[in-house]
Amino acid sequence: MVGLSLGEQHFVKGGIAQDLRTDGRKRLTYRPIYVETGVIPQANGSARVKIGGTDVIASVKAEIGRPSSLQPDKGKVAVFIDCSPTAEPTFGGRGGEELSSELALALHRCLLGGKSGAGAGINLSSLLIKEGKVCWDLYIDGLVISSDGNLLDALGAAIKAALTNTAIPKVNVSAEVADDEQPEIDISDEEYLQFDTSSVPVIVTLTKVGTHYIVDATAEEESQMSSAVSISVNRAGHICGLTKRGGSGLDPSVILDMISVAKHVTENLMSKLDSEISAAEASEDES
Amino acid sequence: MRMPKVELPLNKTQKVRFERAMEMLKSLSSTTNNSVIVADSIPLNHKEAFLKGHGTSLIDGDLLTTVCGVVINVDKLVYVRTLRARYKPEVGDIVVGRVIKVAQSHWKVELNSTQDGVLKLSSINMPDSVQKRMTSVDELNMRNILVEDDVLCAQVGETQRDGSLQLLLARSHKYGKLDKGQLLKVDPYLVKRSNLHFHFIETLGIDLILGRNGFIWVGEHAQAHDPMVVDDENISSKTRQNILRIGNAIRVLSNLGFTVTLEVIMETFYLSNMENIDIHDMLGSEFHVLVTENQAERRRRCA
Repeated sequence: MVGLSLGEQHFVKGGIAQDLRTDGRKRLTYRPIYVETGVIPQANGSARVKIGGTDVIASVKAEIGRPSSLQPDKGKVAVFIDCSPTAEPTFGGRGGEELSSELALALHRCLLGGKSGAGAGINLSSLLIKEGKVCWDLYIDGLVISSDGNLLDALGAAIKAALTNTAIPKVNVSAEVADDEQPEIDISDEEYLQFDTSSVPVIVTLTKVGTHYIVDATAEEESQMSSAVSISVNRAGHICGLTKRGGSGLDPSVILDMISVAKHVTENLMSKLDSEISAAEASEDES
Repeated sequence: MRMPKVELPLNKTQKVRFERAMEMLKSLSSTTNNSVIVADSIPLNHKEAFLKGHGTSLIDGDLLTTVCGVVINVDKLVYVRTLRARYKPEVGDIVVGRVIKVAQSHWKVELNSTQDGVLKLSSINMPDSVQKRMTSVDELNMRNILVEDDVLCAQVGETQRDGSLQLLLARSHKYGKLDKGQLLKVDPYLVKRSNLHFHFIETLGIDLILGRNGFIWVGEHAQAHDPMVVDDENISSKTRQNILRIGNAIRVLSNLGFTVTLEVIMETFYLSNMENIDIHDMLGSEFHVLVTENQAERRRRCA
């Protein structure tokens, strides 16, 4: 992350105030988003998303597991993020750990809702095979290859695309057994179920610079931010998760305003993302 | 911001137009194709003596390349220039750099080169334009002149005895700290040596400095003023739009691999204005194709 001189900082802040960012965008315009699905054939689902200079890959692997005793009727999802040193030299060794765990937690909150499972973007009940005994465990992994700001939005989009691309094999419970024994299951090799992603939310990060908010900040703009709020909104316009980063405090009215701006931006973003994902899936089917 | 080679999704018609323009450019460019990959053999006239330079190696009587790039013949020197090489400083070059360290009686400046540049306290001009010997008080006040992360423009001086690179700031207001603008990074080989590297575009009121190290500065015109005084005035919206448009023109040219000179930048700028293209859309595929066609057309007319 290169430092900026005082003159350059004024230039960035002044641009945002005048609605003319350093690459000519308006405050609420996203950079072009490119989506590619099926990039990792060994995974159940995968996708690569590029927003300007930010490049991330998400993969979904499904494995058979046991549901937790607190929620015997739901499957489990785990999110891990890895910031690769190719993105930034500072990510080498243990440097990227803090950022990775922060991103993973924010994504977990946005996609899976609260502890009771309420408000989850992913329907965990659809992962169940046999109540209390067998369920699918989804391991969602994200890899940051190149970082130019707005990692959370890119990872959220990549996970949404990867989930759309995910095919979970059909499972038949072959024999009925006594309550305390594990049932035998038969995992089909041919039949697959597509994961239902109509309620998976997208994440929009609003970065506050001075007195204005911008969407999709580049690394330069993020270095000038006072705080950032990431809001995940689903297709119905409901808020699924909220995360605030940054040292400076925010007045509650500002947060409410940011939420309404995010909802407005999400409408465009969601439709754009959906069309990109379906185009990517279509071209993947062709090749 | 480092400019990655952005992948552009071109639809079918755009692909056809793009390829046609590239074909025309290839046919118009210099006849011999000197690009080589590793272990290619370099054709030589064996009767003449030659000097083998970087990227070559004499194996079994054959001169082979050790890197991928373009073969350059300069008098008797044969070497291979790689495409992503770092800047190789030459005396007298104008460069744009960023201060990384304030040290005793000098600043260390990053130049996108194998070494950092050294700017001595004695080579800058003082605000009162009086040449005087630098005292210890001036050393303590170095931070008032240039701090870490400041962007400046300088001329490359001689390499010092211990191998480090010396920078000079001439005693005029043109060289010095750069404010109110943006710094762009392109590959160094895209900026060729010319007689003029500072360009003041009068119609737009913009300074454009093409550093030979690949750092390009686009900013509002700096009046001659006391460098110690901080000027906090905001840039007008019109000037800002022009700065951003030129900045994006440079980004597009760098993505496509065209040499960056003032004429090409201004042509791209006027093209974007004529076609009424939004500043941000300049980075889209349609404009890239338009620029390629425009360049092919221009070369065809000159040839």
